[in-house]
Amino acid sequence: MKKDKLRLFIMAVITIALLYIIFLFFFSFPVEDLNIEEILTIIIPLVLIVFMSFFVRRRYMDIKAGMPLEDERSKKIMNKTAAMSFYTTFYWLLLISWLKGPIARMLGLEYLDAGQTTAVAILGMTVVFFGFWLYYNKKGKID
Amino acid sequence: MENRIKEFRAKYNFTQEDLAKKVGVRRETIVFLEKGKYNPSLNLAYKVAKVLKTTVDELFTLED
Repeated sequence: MKKDKLRLFIMAVITIALLYIIFLFFFSFPVEDLNIEEILTIIIPLVLIVFMSFFVRRRYMDIKAGMPLEDERSKKIMNKTAAMSFYTTFYWLLLISWLKGPIARMLGLEYLDAGQTTAVAILGMTVVFFGFWLYYNKKGKID
Repeated sequence: MENRIKEFRAKYNFTQEDLAKKVGVRRETIVFLEKGKYNPSLNLAYKVAKVLKTTVDELFTLED
């Protein structure tokens, strides 16, 4: 239980640190000066923060109720989520390589450079991971 | 896999949370176990059976 509390505390610290970095970023640069790549790199930690806040809050309430931070089912869910999002990422990357023109136009750019492509790819991976995690948590059947 | 966890839990007047704490798992695991939506490991099956003072055979039945 003590180990669980420490792990949860570390997660909360990382979430707060990410949030603080984003605030610093926003206060350092006027929003109108940010390019699409910078905006994308802000959206990724924001998605992570939403995910982590949700996760930390739920786990905190569980620890308060005397439940373990993780058990065999939650470990299986995490493994399955990681495996499925890794597999799906290949299709996501393939889709980006096919649709980089339309994606660039959608973002108001002429073309996607390496940095922007990486940012779009990571954003997609983050969303896919979160989606699968929610799906397996609600669906239940993971065998 | 079918199971009689709910029946045995009611027998001993345990809530899902009580059982989860005694077995050392999260409450959702017990919820999904009872619904038959999660197949437990042998280790967990034995722990649940022990807490509910029964055997794994009594508690779980493999569907055809």
